[in-house]
Parts: sequence; structure tokens; C-alpha cells
Amino acid sequence: MAQINVGVLALQGAFSEHIMLLRHAFAMLQAERDDSSWIATEVRTPEQLNACDALIIPGGESTAIALVASRCEMLEPLRSFVKIERRPTWGTCAGLILLAEAANRTKKGGQDLIGGIDVRVNRNYYGRQVESFEADIDLPFLKTGQPGSETRPFRGVFIRAPVVEKILPQVSGIQTAEQEHPETIVAPSKAPRDSFSASKLSAPVEVMATLPGRTNVNDLPQRVKEESDGDIIAVRQANVFGTSFHPELTVDPRIHIWWLREVKDAVAENRSHRI
Amino acid sequence: MATELPINGSNGHSNGSISAASLPPVNGHGPAANGTTATGNSGNTFAVKAGLARMLKGGVIMDVINAEQARIAEEAGAVAVMALERVPADIRAQGGVARMSDPALIREICEAVTIPVMAKARIGHFVECQIIQALGVDYIDESEVLTPADHAHHVDKHAFNTPFVCGCRNLGEALRRISEGAAMIRTKGEAGTGDVVEAVRHVRTVQADIARAKGMSEQELYCYAKELQCDVNLLRETAKLGRLPVVNFAAGGVATPADAALMMQLGCDGVFVGSGIFKSGDPKARAKAIVQATTHYNDPVVLAKVSSGLGVAMVGINCDHMGEKEKLSTRGW
Repeated sequence: MAQINVGVLALQGAFSEHIMLLRHAFAMLQAERDDSSWIATEVRTPEQLNACDALIIPGGESTAIALVASRCEMLEPLRSFVKIERRPTWGTCAGLILLAEAANRTKKGGQDLIGGIDVRVNRNYYGRQVESFEADIDLPFLKTGQPGSETRPFRGVFIRAPVVEKILPQVSGIQTAEQEHPETIVAPSKAPRDSFSASKLSAPVEVMATLPGRTNVNDLPQRVKEESDGDIIAVRQANVFGTSFHPELTVDPRIHIWWLREVKDAVAENRSHRI
Repeated sequence: MATELPINGSNGHSNGSISAASLPPVNGHGPAANGTTATGNSGNTFAVKAGLARMLKGGVIMDVINAEQARIAEEAGAVAVMALERVPADIRAQGGVARMSDPALIREICEAVTIPVMAKARIGHFVECQIIQALGVDYIDESEVLTPADHAHHVDKHAFNTPFVCGCRNLGEALRRISEGAAMIRTKGEAGTGDVVEAVRHVRTVQADIARAKGMSEQELYCYAKELQCDVNLLRETAKLGRLPVVNFAAGGVATPADAALMMQLGCDGVFVGSGIFKSGDPKARAKAIVQATTHYNDPVVLAKVSSGLGVAMVGINCDHMGEKEKLSTRGW
């Protein structure tokens, strides 16, 4: 029975909510005779991060999380975890921003990104708190046909939420074209270390969910929506998954369960490459 | 409902004499949701209002009086800034009527930073709240630090789309504010003193009140609700959860990284720092240090490191030498 340690970055934000839902999801997986031994841990130091097989970066304030991470020397270990070791990582809201290779509408002087998904994220796309909302969203990836899979919509809670406004070309270095855009910041290079991390570089960005029919209150001229007629609210590229809404603010563990199944496969693959 | 979920026990509070239990889910269930459960697209539900407060957890909210201070706070890693006319220490020293900030200043602060902006309104002054909401501010603090505008009535906070944070000294006061629509609570402490003793008193009082409620039967809860002058349904939910049903930050007197970590170890979800930063010798360094201390509140090695060489803390006023009438925390009912 292999142990899988799922970390939740606990520098700031809604980390205890994720831990609560993870434990709920563990119990449901075990009820399905899943043979893994799952544990959830709060991560505040590089040592704690290194002990994790997978990581969730929770909702919170992305500027605060990035500043705290930088000061306690967590940024490089996080980049290495996501982009070199290619361990499964999921970011919600602020987490999605940090996992994007490019972002705009950040604070003056920009902010640090971890990177990992070749997208540009518009940080407070939906505007200020008065524009925050809840909506029923359709998540095609939950309709797996596996036991427990259902078709009812997921209650998406969007708090000063970001969206993915552009899918970027896959490049092995930094997103240099994005640097040309005004007020757009990019993550540092993700040069692969070995054939395993190199193999993940060619993975395409998958649009996992969109939210149709919402009009944006801050219609920015540079906003370009691609490959979709709705706002992109969930994306995945190789080992990195991001959602612009907050499953941790619901009692619905379906996305956590789906992601843990992905984690289990990825951990098996990852471990076989490390031996 | 929350009780079906495994109790998270918030493992951060491992050494804790007091452990903060999990917050309830805020997806529109439970009494705290105020009947705003909805399907389809809906803005301004209680889940959305209380949800922003959850995103601020583990963070520091800093009092600022202008855009320049707001930028210092943002660069220090504040999760939000609180716009007010004068910091509490100056309100105390200068006296006079303390009111909502000039809307032009609030607007400048909103334009200067990308983190959430909060602004203070006087207790009961619902027109100041309307103005603050119209400015697009992210959270309104109906605050005892300003001069109260109503001798008996607090603002009906359900009527607003912008969420509210309110102060409390005990459980009854906290639950009264939540029943009026507050989506976040802060224990009051004694603002503008730099003395943490009242903040500690208020957090410990709320926790002692909750501990009492936890052991009570249904009959006793009705009786206790009368004593606390609060809604019995909210009291029952609180007893079941073992904590306030919304996010609770510490406030009023936090002046050092150690103070912030103390409040976190006592089980608060985050801290407000008022005069403690901009009335100290080196606001930038102190602001950063308090942010780091709030994240690593359980790690004395980190706390020792970030507390070193910060220059002079705010001079402060000893709360024990203060008359009841001088205390701002006695305002609000």
C-alpha cells in the first residue's frame, strides 16, 4: 500500500478548507477500495514541500503568497517541484495565477510567478468584490463514467476571480513574446533537467472548462479570448491543473476525487522515472 | 453540512492550548447563509461575501490613510488594506469626531493597489456605507474606532452587496453582528494603544463563551441565547462548530511580529494591524516582519529571525491606565 502525501501550500489563504475537502475525498476513495494510503499536510517550508508527492496551491491573495514565498525561499523549490520534477500540482484562483507562465493586471512592479501552464491569466478579470458571484458550471472532465461520476453541475464560487485569457505557444524557455505586452509579467525559465521533464514540455494546454455568457465589466482592449466562446475557467497542461473558482468553498469533493485519481497515476509514473 | 465532514483540526495549532476548528462550508447552506441559497448565476450571496474573508485567512490587513501607505502595505505582503481618515493612535491623540475617509482618498487607494480595499464607516451610519459601496470598495468595516453615528442601531448589513466586517468583545456581540449580516468578525482589542492585552482578552472571552455553549443541551442553549442576547440558531451552529461561523481576525493593539503570532496561536484566522505599523520607527520592515510572522506563527526560530532589528515599536498606551470611557471597544451594542 503506497503512501501518497498531498501537500497544501499554507503560506496564506484558504488552505484548511482544501485539507478538509481532501480528507473527505480520501474517505470516499477508500470506500471505493482505493489501495493508496493518502495523507494531507500543510506546507510552509522547502523540507515540507520536498516530502510531498503532489501539491495544491489554494485561493488567497496571489501577491501576498508570492511575496511570502519569495522571502522564505520557497519560490525556487516550488518552481522545481512543478516544472522540473513535474509533480502533480493544482492551483485554485490565486493558485492558478501563480501557476500561469504569464499574467497581467498585477500590482505595480508585477509579482513573482511559479509558472507551469502556458497561458496568460488576467488576474482580477471579473472585477472587484461586488462583481464576485456563484454560478452552476459544467465540468466535462467529471463525466468519466466511473463510479460516483455524476452529471449535475458544479457550484462554482468566483471571488475576485481570474480567467485564462490566452493560450500561449509552447516554448522551452520563458514566454518572451508575452514580455513585449505592456503590464504583463512572465515566469522564469522551465528548462527541463532530464528526459522525463523534457517529455512533459510537449504536452498541450487543455481547456477543461469554460463559463459561457458572462459579460466582463472591465472590458480591457488587450483581452483576447481564444479557442472558446466562453471564459476559460479550468486548464491543464501535463502535471499542472488550474481552476479560477474555489471548490474549497463548497462541500462538493468531486473535483478533488477526480484530481486525486490523476495524482495516483502521475505518482506511479513519476516514481518509476526516479528509480 | 459541516458535521458530516472530517474535522480538520487546523493542524497549524499543534502546540495550541486552544485549537481552532474548521469553518463551516459556505456554499449557501446553514443558518449563516441567510437563506440566500440559489441556483443559476447569483452575485452577492452570503457564500460570496464570507468567501472573500476566507481568502484573507493567514494574512495581515493593514490600516492606511493614503495611497502611499497602501503601496507600502501591498509590497509588504498585506492581503488587504483598510482605508481610514486617521490611524487610531491619532484619533485617540487628536480627539474630535472621526468619520469615514474622504472618498477621493479611498478612490486613490483603490487605484494604487490590486489587493482588496476595505474602508471604515461609523457604527449605524448606513449612508457612509452606501457611499463606500458606490466607490467599489471590497469590504466595509462598521467600526467602533470611528465616532458612532447611532446610539442603538447598527447598519442592516444584509441590505448591501458589499460584505461587512464588524468588531466584537464577546460571543453575543459577534453573533448579533453576524445576524445583522456581517460576513467577517474581528475581535476589537483596544485600537491605537499598541497594547495587545485587550485583543487577547476579547479572543479568550469569545472562546470561553463558545466552550460553554459546546457543553450545553438544547434547553440550555435557549437560555444562554437570552443571556448573550443573540439568535439561538446562530448560537447552536457556533456550538456545533466549536468556533465562530465566519472568519475571525484579531485587531486592536497588535504592534509586533510576536503579537501577531500570539493572536494566531490563540486561534485567530488572521490579524488587522492599525497604528502598529505606520506609528513605528521603520514601517516597511515592521510590516514585512508581521506578515512573515503571521504565516510562520508556530515557528519560534522564524519568529526570532523576523523580529530582529525592526527599530522602535510604537510607543503605545498601557490599557490598564485607561478609563472605561477612553476605551473605543465599549462602543457598539
